[in-house]
Amino acid sequence: MAVGLTLIFGVMRVVNFAHGDMMVWGMYLAFLLATRAGVDPYLSFVVCAAALFGLGVVVQRGLVDRIVDAPHEMQILLMLGVALVLENLALLAFGPEPARVRSPLVRLTWELGPLYVDVARLVTFAVAILLTLALWLFLFRTELGRLIRASADNHYGALVIGVDVRRIYATAFGVGAACVGAAGALVSPILPFQPVTGLSLSVTSFNIVIIGGMGSLVGAFIGGLLVSVAESLGAVFLTPSLKELFSFSLLILILLFRPAGLFGKRVP
Amino acid sequence: MSTRLTRRTFLTTAVAGAAVAGFPLPLRGQPRTFKIGAVHPVTGPLAEPGQACRLGAQMAVDAVNAAGGIKGKGGLRLELIVGDTQTKPENGRVEAERVVSQGAQMLLGSFDSGSTAAMVSVAQQRRVPFLVDIAAADPITANVAKSVREGQQKVQYVYRNFPTGSSFGRRAVQYFTEIFAEVKVTPKRVVLMYCNDLFGQSQSRGFLAAYKAARPAWTLLEDEVIAWPEPPSDLSTEVSKLKSLKPDVIAPITRPASAQLLLPEIRKQRVESLGIVGPGSPGLYEAGQLAALREDLEYVLTSVPWANFKNPKTNAVAEEYRKRSSGKTFDTNSGYSYDAIFVIADVLERAAKLDDPDAIVDALRKTNYTGGLMQYGGPVVFNEIGDNPNAIPTMIQILKQKPVAVWPKDAALEKFAFPRPKA
Repeated sequence: MAVGLTLIFGVMRVVNFAHGDMMVWGMYLAFLLATRAGVDPYLSFVVCAAALFGLGVVVQRGLVDRIVDAPHEMQILLMLGVALVLENLALLAFGPEPARVRSPLVRLTWELGPLYVDVARLVTFAVAILLTLALWLFLFRTELGRLIRASADNHYGALVIGVDVRRIYATAFGVGAACVGAAGALVSPILPFQPVTGLSLSVTSFNIVIIGGMGSLVGAFIGGLLVSVAESLGAVFLTPSLKELFSFSLLILILLFRPAGLFGKRVP
Repeated sequence: MSTRLTRRTFLTTAVAGAAVAGFPLPLRGQPRTFKIGAVHPVTGPLAEPGQACRLGAQMAVDAVNAAGGIKGKGGLRLELIVGDTQTKPENGRVEAERVVSQGAQMLLGSFDSGSTAAMVSVAQQRRVPFLVDIAAADPITANVAKSVREGQQKVQYVYRNFPTGSSFGRRAVQYFTEIFAEVKVTPKRVVLMYCNDLFGQSQSRGFLAAYKAARPAWTLLEDEVIAWPEPPSDLSTEVSKLKSLKPDVIAPITRPASAQLLLPEIRKQRVESLGIVGPGSPGLYEAGQLAALREDLEYVLTSVPWANFKNPKTNAVAEEYRKRSSGKTFDTNSGYSYDAIFVIADVLERAAKLDDPDAIVDALRKTNYTGGLMQYGGPVVFNEIGDNPNAIPTMIQILKQKPVAVWPKDAALEKFAFPRPKA
């Protein structure tokens, strides 16, 4: 999920505040597919990713494209607006009660000595690694990926060499949204969700992306690991209700000592 | 200069006069209504219970009107002016102001204690009688009663027909003790877990205080209480902590979202116990929760305000509620809001006059209403603080995937299953 956010920011310098709400839509899509068509979320994540790709392209072409060069506060307003619309559409469509997708995998645990390994989480983790790897290959080994990186590095340079930057932006936004679509479907059996879940998801992913470094794929991945380990250790050594203190203290430390994040490039 | 009445002036005056006199005609043609401002969190995190409250109140208004309105006041009809706090406490005040400006003569609300407290100031300042349908925090009524007692305010306009936080705790400890005694077990390691928001804190504090006061035979691990931030994204660490405490009984205070994480996690980590008995919280019995959690909720007990299904009228209303809410259970929230409207209707029947708020308050204080659909310990009455001491919770249990009242004995529809039968 954080990987998608960092991609959108890295390419367009647009902070996608609707990220969490897009993810919630991915979750509800997986929910619909599971309840209406009986498709397991561990398979339907492909469909969710495709649908969110579409949503991402539409949002980019219809809205974001008009304000890419506008001041940051305009972008924040627009994206918060998109977030509000998505959240309340979900409220209209699905109602306010928390939902959860049932998958047979969720009932399984493996006993490894004194440890219990949650199979669903393990599978989600594995697929997340594979997807990040695939995204990396896409960005660094394909022509389209190279064009996306070129537009990210230097907007005007890309224009000069004849890149259709608008199309590239739409693709990048779409791919970013597809990442959260897939992420949403993958965590839907683990994490109960309701329309208002989007905001806390957005905050968590901002935290991860800022710690890892805005615009860095590896950073987003490592950032995600750091945040979750920090929270678990915090819960073990202090009281569980203080665990978020740890991840956000980590954020403050990073902002103080490495403002660009662990893997971020300093903006000249 | 003489004023001559020409035909022209006569006509203009007559037409203008007729227009003025005729203008209120559409208004006069309608039956008179008594407006009630119903403020609930209909959007935001508490939208689900908030919408249940609004629908419950609306159904009760429809029922009162269908039965001929307030008969003692010439068939006066009730009308709801609805407000939405968006689950933000400060909006309680804003929305209460708005509905009062639109003509609300009484207030109803508002599910969460934060926004209810914000509505209290509007009720007191603008002299609008306020019946709290749901909100547990003790200070909501107690603070007003205190300032009236000390002479800072003249009249108390705030009354509540719902159990208070402290009474929840006392009843829960009482039910725990009675149920354990009934099956002759004395758990030595009861572990309290709660969601660390205002509601969870006040519920757990009330439970701990009542436990300390009652000193029952069973033992609560008072120093090993586990709290989680609400809404949580993961409870695996909390549950491993629980497991290391080797609990006899798990006593969770949840919200719907955290219950959906907690119960599967308890199963996955194979935490063994005699059973899960909640001191009182949402998340452990609603239709949506049952659909999501299924067998994880089987045999879970929890102490909640519950409808009295021994009353045939309750079953009829519950069936209507199911239809109008597309399949939801008539429960705590819809039920208490429903009863609140009927209490208001009863008050309006008895009030000497309706254009004087103090006359309505007089009638409110003398309430002795027995037609409630919820499970009460007696008629709806209001004590010197403005609370109904007969508003009590019921211990319910999920049996065959349905929530059923199991304690106290006179409310029980079935015998409870505790300790939890082994699968």
